[in-house]
Amino acid sequence: MSRKRHVIVGGGTAGLNAITTIREYDKGASDIVLVAEEWPYSRMVLPYYLGQSISESHVFTATAPRLAQLGVQFIRADRPVDPILRALATQPQNESAGPLGPDFVRRRASGIDTANNLLKLDDGSSIEYDDLLIATGSSPTRPPIPGADGEGIYNQWTIDDSRGVLKNIKPGQDVAMIGAGFISFTILNSVLNHGVNLHIIEIMPQVLPRMIDNEGAEIVANLLRNRGVNIQTGVSVKSIEDVDGRKKLVMDGAADLTVDLVIMGTGIRPNLGWLNESGLEIDQGIIVDDHLRSNVANVYAAGDVAQGHELITRRKEVHAIEPTAMQHGRVVGANMTGRDISYEGSLLMNILDVQDLDVASFGSWNVPGAETSIMSNPKNNTYRKLVWDEDKIIGGIILGPARGIWTTNDIGMLKGLVQSQVRLGPWKKYLQENMWDIKRPFVANHVTNTMLSVTTLDHPTVPAREISATGASGGASDKDGEVVD
Amino acid sequence: MSKVLKIIPDNCTGCMRCEVACSYMQTGTYQPSKSVIRVSPFERHTSYSPYTCFQCEEAWCLSACPVEAITISPVGAKIVVENQCVGCKLCTIACPYGTIFYDVDTHKAFKCDLCGGSPACADACPTSAIQWVDEAVQDWQGDFAAERGNVHIIGLSSV
Repeated sequence: MSRKRHVIVGGGTAGLNAITTIREYDKGASDIVLVAEEWPYSRMVLPYYLGQSISESHVFTATAPRLAQLGVQFIRADRPVDPILRALATQPQNESAGPLGPDFVRRRASGIDTANNLLKLDDGSSIEYDDLLIATGSSPTRPPIPGADGEGIYNQWTIDDSRGVLKNIKPGQDVAMIGAGFISFTILNSVLNHGVNLHIIEIMPQVLPRMIDNEGAEIVANLLRNRGVNIQTGVSVKSIEDVDGRKKLVMDGAADLTVDLVIMGTGIRPNLGWLNESGLEIDQGIIVDDHLRSNVANVYAAGDVAQGHELITRRKEVHAIEPTAMQHGRVVGANMTGRDISYEGSLLMNILDVQDLDVASFGSWNVPGAETSIMSNPKNNTYRKLVWDEDKIIGGIILGPARGIWTTNDIGMLKGLVQSQVRLGPWKKYLQENMWDIKRPFVANHVTNTMLSVTTLDHPTVPAREISATGASGGASDKDGEVVD
Repeated sequence: MSKVLKIIPDNCTGCMRCEVACSYMQTGTYQPSKSVIRVSPFERHTSYSPYTCFQCEEAWCLSACPVEAITISPVGAKIVVENQCVGCKLCTIACPYGTIFYDVDTHKAFKCDLCGGSPACADACPTSAIQWVDEAVQDWQGDFAAERGNVHIIGLSSV
């Protein structure tokens, strides 16, 4: 029996979770080829690297020994070429490409041939797969304004972006963040820790427009203004000019602003361009079914490139959040080993710590016309919003001090209420009148009982760190007991 | 079957010894704010129940962690490996039970670790409302809270 070959494109959260899940099930009884640009690392922890509370090594989620332990063959975009191997190479190579000099060749995924089960690489070679996972994530977009691509303007997306900002940021500088979305806000504390004067510019009328509503956003903005952050919403940047080594932002709707460093957080888009000729069904992302398969049965998609079910709306959406990428990866990994795991859908959720203020939202927190319950106390930076569908909570927002003794617990219980879609019956009225008391309705409506029976895969979760390709070289048994050489 | 913390709310007097014992085991201080088991009143203050991590099979916190800072201890507790945790709070929104905590001083998540196999809360409870036993985990508080709901949901509290 020949070994199955799983090819994974992209080493982010989705790709790595798929790999560990494959190994959890097959213990090494298959070949896994990972094609990625960098050693796998976690985008979610880059802000802590940027804030210098962790070292760079902490960012990486899988080192070379770890990939070896998992039995993964890693094909990296820019990789050193052994000169002897190069002389012997029969496959064509693109000598000119690659930023790291002549001893490196670019080997990036450049397309797929689904009829022949081939992943094509841009050096002209290709890899045959039995099944393929596309988990290429997304890239930041920049606004189409003059100067936006100049020197000294950073995204905050990749580890290289973090390295660039860290190298150049200095106390006392003026730093502009263009775009006040989730990504910008994940690095806000880190940037402020560098002792800079921060200017936040947002084209929408509020900060965090896709994460919280206007009333919550006002609380966040006021808290930051009180800490000396210059926040301007409903304004845009017309162009960015170099003036005496600094950056002049020519503004529309506000006075021009000159700063030392510009960080762009103006949105992301899935990395799908390389799949234009693939024949995959693509809308905002690759359309996937409840097994996270594309319209081609042995091609899966996960994470930011996948357009799959959202848990509450049941609509197929691109979520571009870490928890969705993780769950997608696990479900794909299981299905790639022949399990039959159907996925209910991902709950949209986000949390930020904004200067010790917890800001969290879940599900459908913004539904025009829906019944809502609101408790607002801007003086104490607390705000709660529940969105109802009859007696079910379909979405919610909580703002509260991280130091508040119940804030974190209430955030978790709100998640449980939204995720379980438990009907609250007469407790709805109670909760509406007692918005601080999430716990009592949560417990009395047996949310615990509902959630205890839920597992993403068909068994208790195993910690990734305990998973390896234990049978990779020793003739592993598959589940039918057949010995694989 | 591994041991679990079984909660018997009918036995709870609300004395808070579990919180004090827990915080002492977890942090070396007698500080209920650092406790990872929390006692809440029900039906006004006629009854009480402790509430803590169920050590659920799905381990939402564990799989959500982007740096593998949560793992499973030999006694089956989902535990935070403190020097791995970066404080991103993803576990706090992944857990649907509200039993992940966040320490604003250390900037780390923390949670019930079953005290390594000898839970201080169960030892401290004078009425056996918290027991460390071989049993399947279940929704210990649901029926108790539902039974005591009328005062809240049909307004008998308007005294």
